[in-house]
Amino acid sequence: MIGPWIAAFLTLAIFSYLYKDNPFYKVAEHLFVGISTGYWTSMFFWTQIQPNLFGRLWPATEYNSDLLWYKFYNLLGVFSSVFPDGGINKGHHMELLYLLPFALGIMMLLSVSSKLSWMARWGIAYTVGMAAGLRAYGFLNSNVLGQIKGSAFQIFNSDLPFFALASESIFNNFIILIGTITGLMYFYFSREHTGNFGKLSKLGIYFLMISFGASFGFAVMGRISLLIGRFVDLITYSGSAHNHATLWLLLAMILLLGYSAFTDKNNTSKDEPTIEK
Amino acid sequence: MDKISDYILKAGTIDRRWIFLIIGLAVLLPLFFPLGLPIRATNATQKVYDAVEALEENSKVLVSFEYGPSTKPEIHPMAIGLLRHLFTNGHKVFVTCLWPDGQFMADEALDEVAKEEFDLTYGEDYVILGFRPGNEAVVKGMVSNIRKLYTTDARGTLVDNIPLMKNINKVADFDFIFSASAGYPGTVEWVQYASDPTGVPLSTGTTSIMVNDIMPMVNSGQVKGILAGMPGAAEYEALIGTPGIGTSGMDAQSIAHLVIVLFIIFGNITYFIETQRSKKY
Amino acid sequence: MIWKRQIPILIATVIGFATLFGWFIDHPGIESFVNDDATQWYDILASFAIFLGALNLMKLQGKKVFKQQSGWQYSIFAIGGFFFAIVAGFIYKGNDAVEWGVHVTSKGTLFKWMFDYMFTPLSATMFALLAFFVASASYRAFRVRNLEATLLLVSGIIIMVGRVPLGSSISSWFIMYLMVLIVSIAVNIKLKDKKITFSTFLGGVLIVTIWGSSLGWPIDQPGLFYLPILQDWIYNNPNVAGARAIMIGIGLGIFATSIRYILGIEKSYIGE
Repeated sequence: MIGPWIAAFLTLAIFSYLYKDNPFYKVAEHLFVGISTGYWTSMFFWTQIQPNLFGRLWPATEYNSDLLWYKFYNLLGVFSSVFPDGGINKGHHMELLYLLPFALGIMMLLSVSSKLSWMARWGIAYTVGMAAGLRAYGFLNSNVLGQIKGSAFQIFNSDLPFFALASESIFNNFIILIGTITGLMYFYFSREHTGNFGKLSKLGIYFLMISFGASFGFAVMGRISLLIGRFVDLITYSGSAHNHATLWLLLAMILLLGYSAFTDKNNTSKDEPTIEK
Repeated sequence: MDKISDYILKAGTIDRRWIFLIIGLAVLLPLFFPLGLPIRATNATQKVYDAVEALEENSKVLVSFEYGPSTKPEIHPMAIGLLRHLFTNGHKVFVTCLWPDGQFMADEALDEVAKEEFDLTYGEDYVILGFRPGNEAVVKGMVSNIRKLYTTDARGTLVDNIPLMKNINKVADFDFIFSASAGYPGTVEWVQYASDPTGVPLSTGTTSIMVNDIMPMVNSGQVKGILAGMPGAAEYEALIGTPGIGTSGMDAQSIAHLVIVLFIIFGNITYFIETQRSKKY
Repeated sequence: MIWKRQIPILIATVIGFATLFGWFIDHPGIESFVNDDATQWYDILASFAIFLGALNLMKLQGKKVFKQQSGWQYSIFAIGGFFFAIVAGFIYKGNDAVEWGVHVTSKGTLFKWMFDYMFTPLSATMFALLAFFVASASYRAFRVRNLEATLLLVSGIIIMVGRVPLGSSISSWFIMYLMVLIVSIAVNIKLKDKKITFSTFLGGVLIVTIWGSSLGWPIDQPGLFYLPILQDWIYNNPNVAGARAIMIGIGLGIFATSIRYILGIEKSYIGE
């Protein structure tokens, strides 16, 4: 019942920024910060930490209440939602090696205190090292070698026409090849862009500008699509099924913002110095 | 002539809130008064359609949802269109999510298509493996051993107990991958860590902003076509013959684009007049 | 000092090398660790990084309220929103038929309600606001100052109009008449001769009219001036060339930077 009213209010509050920065917008903005932080925290805890970390430290498959390790688990059973009776049943076996990432994670959390801020470096170093190792291969293979392979084509392939507007052709492949090479030439700053090299890098800029123009066109397209989505939701909430929530809230906001603008204007004119005759 | 130039120059300095109002009306009015403009599929969309049509019956398709509510208007229509196409052709769908909100989007799309429209059985015709954090590490983990990463599905059922997951141990066991992606992690990570190393064909649907980042991969054949934003979704709906939410937004999209182009042209006319006047004086 | 500097660099180097060479080493034990466990540890640490971010945010907002700094009243909403999300995530499920853990993705729970009626409208509308600013920027800032800007603007306009259904409804002959007008304006600016301008304009109009009449005014011929086909050509050819050059450049840059991190040359992650 109250959900659509809240959704419509928050949507209109954010849109009210288009008129000017106002308390409605600030409230919605701060709510967004708080709710999204809590949302991400809950989501990551229940989809990763509880099943994959705690589920490997105290798996239900190896539960034994006589073991000291599980006696400690039973103490944690105060938080029964996180540590249910009989261990955590997520299909894992016990892997105490996972105490290492757990320790690194706790060190990360302790870095909230400014004295212990260095502790986060170990966890960060692990993620940085792993990301670097993954990306070095991934980007070299797909973004560089894959693209260079894609630029190569058969000049004397009789299957392809010389020129075609709507499909592949030798001319089109040439355009892509020349554009790619001259575009890369532009990014080579170890040499001055003069003479023939300068002319070719200038050609490269033209190809890059066409690409940026296309990116701009797509950016506009994307933003308008998102706006359409919001308007569709607002139109839904303005229906009788939701007691015309959008319309009532819009009216209330317009009246309040209008009144605020009117009083601000009066206050401004009162503050202006009067010229004595 | 000078008077007209003066009016144009004055119009060039209007308060930007009038521009906001015009754009708002340009988007809102076509939603109430649709124009019904015809939709023509582009080559990139046709490639995705052809790639799905070329799949053998009962193919195992991995669909990855990596978008959230902020990009739902662009990608949700294409996800629904794709699911309709896959289920119509009798394929089995496995859903994974690299974004946490992707799981909600996947639930919604599958409820609408698999449950309500096609009346399919969970665990036999489709399964939602769910979200795992870790970005490209998740993709890499899936390529190597899905069952180590996903011991349970999104509903808490052990993966070993799901009939559809029989013989599915790694990404290479799938016949096709589709990434419905709004950013990082998304299509690029699927190409780099799954499709390129394993050779499993991949298509994608992305937000309009991401399209240019993926186009070189489409051109090189690493990605089999791309659905570009809401227009791409509308084109795909036209190809499968089922207009949906993508199609209904196209009139508003067209008018808004026209208005922005007119703004650009008018703004440049103003600039041109200013330049001529400053040269004169 | 060793704890704060040398050990983090050693961790990054060892893990970086292990992950990189894991692509090439065919040993089952090493492969299994690099592909499975190491990635799981990465996921776990990524989650803890989120929790750290949340703690820092609450610390900042709490400090603002406690010291009554400017705008502290709004910080109460931030803290309130966070605690509401934590209650929905950890304390009150709202649907007893669903187990803890799965409740974050199941229907009928308070968490799902919060996602549908608070998180979704807030995040979607924040992004949708940009549409208005893009329009305003197009009107006030997008200027044809030189050839590069002209290319950018023309390709942007062709993509914007050609990609939507409206573009399919615009006849190629309309575009040709528009081209004749633009060429005549350009001739006028360059040569400043009314006779030549008028002849160019009249000649162009006559050629297009005769050509169009002879073909029967097909909407999509000649293809070069039909916006959907023209935008497709630009999108698939010169645009791909530029995007590919950028992609290769970025790919090389990322490879070089990753090697620098692995070799311990780049130490920005420890604040150096």
